Amino acid sequence: MEEKQMHHQVSADQDQIVDKRTLRRVFWRSFHLQGSFNYERMQALGYLYAMIPILLKLYPKKSDLAAALKRHLEFFNTTPAVSSFVMGISTAMEEKNAREKGVFDSSSINAIKVALMGPLAGIGDSFFWGTFRVIAAGIGISLASQGNILGAILFLVLYNIPHFFLRYKGTFWGYNQGTTLLSSLYEKGNMEKVSYCAGILGLIVIGAMTGTLVQFTTPLEISIQGATVNLQETLDQIMPNILPLGLTLLLFLMLKKGVKVNYIMIGIIAVGILGKWAGIL
Amino acid sequence: MVLEAILIGLLGAIGILDGRIFGQMMFERPLVMGPLVGLVLGDFTTGIIVGATLELVWMGIVGVGSATPPDVTTGGILGTAFAIMTDSGAEVALALAVPIAILAQSLGILVRTINTSFIHRADKYAEEGDTKKIVLMHWLAVGLFFLNGFVPNFLGILLGSEVVEGIVNAIPQTITEGLQVAANMFPALGFALLLQMTFTKKLSPFYFLGFGLAVFFGLDITPVAVIGAIIAVVIYQLMPTDKDKEVLL
Repeated sequence: MEEKQMHHQVSADQDQIVDKRTLRRVFWRSFHLQGSFNYERMQALGYLYAMIPILLKLYPKKSDLAAALKRHLEFFNTTPAVSSFVMGISTAMEEKNAREKGVFDSSSINAIKVALMGPLAGIGDSFFWGTFRVIAAGIGISLASQGNILGAILFLVLYNIPHFFLRYKGTFWGYNQGTTLLSSLYEKGNMEKVSYCAGILGLIVIGAMTGTLVQFTTPLEISIQGATVNLQETLDQIMPNILPLGLTLLLFLMLKKGVKVNYIMIGIIAVGILGKWAGIL
Repeated sequence: MVLEAILIGLLGAIGILDGRIFGQMMFERPLVMGPLVGLVLGDFTTGIIVGATLELVWMGIVGVGSATPPDVTTGGILGTAFAIMTDSGAEVALALAVPIAILAQSLGILVRTINTSFIHRADKYAEEGDTKKIVLMHWLAVGLFFLNGFVPNFLGILLGSEVVEGIVNAIPQTITEGLQVAANMFPALGFALLLQMTFTKKLSPFYFLGFGLAVFFGLDITPVAVIGAIIAVVIYQLMPTDKDKEVLL
């Protein structure tokens, strides 16, 4: 509905009140997003915390400032790493609001925030949690399990390079191009393509980890007409590591059916102890 | 012991605050906290290895969306610490870390509930245009999160280490061996949780491709990640954009 509106409303133009320094403060303060996380409005107070330098600069009059402060205490929740992008957009819109007082529809500022947080969380979670972190952790764990401290260091470095880059750049992209950038990405279907391909990479790595990092074998031997058959050897002939794969898919199905993670964790411990005791595992 | 307890408590606080005011740089994860605990308790290598094991187990446990997940930071720190203090391996760390993480989760839920009162007071200060007091409300909540990290880890080391030592020594061998089996199975849960986030029918072949590359060709994670990245880029280039969609389809 607001496609057209967004284009001319959101992007900042030449006479900018907000300088680079203040925007950089928003970037640093965006790290605080979840500092006062609560169940009622989630990241709202952290979001406002990041916006305060901007609002103080834009609204010298107390009543205007109060309205703006209240505006950013509304419910907000998204992937922390991409929050600075939304803050950049809010900054551009607040600036416009301050300049075109009375003309600009200030309720659109929150409308855009609310419209963005869902889709951005979807992309953000799949990138940062599902792809970057998984790859960084996969590489880190394989080094660390041999006692090498490089594992932890590489994990942090590999994850935080894209994290800092996108968080920093995102602030300025949001401010300068605002929703124009996002809607053009969506229009061409590029965003979908990018997150689809990130999903490919993520799944390949998760598949490889299933094959290398889950150790799940059985010592069970079955006697058939006097001959002993080692079950594990037979399974290995069918496909190596078929048990880890089966276990992972089984747990995946249980999660899909809505079984609670905590129950599964306790269940695994119970199965491990009972299985060992019975000589099956 | 008091000094160690304070240091471990501070590690817990830093870990919890990572996702709060440090932008979630991931030093909250057991993979990073493990070595740091090892450093404090004088067994760096065990810290690294136990941290890696717990990371593997909890890889899929993340705070996505609005749910509060099991507290892997506190679970990871105390699990690693107790494994080092009792001279036992990763399987004992895991057996201790799982219940600790679940217990600590409820503490995190409590903090997030109490924090609701701070945002209500912030509403009032917003009305008055008082940014200083709003910032104070924010920091009070941060302070609660600090305690959320510090208190259980500090008390865990100070009061818990003897108790835990007693428990660990009393565990019969069959149970310890069973815990080892469970520890080996646990990563499957992590990957199942990750699949829940990424798996779709259309993308499913790529999961099995990764599995096959590792199992049949014996490739490590790093080469598989490189191959995966190349495949992702190639597919990206092959996918039609809207402009040439009519031409290709």
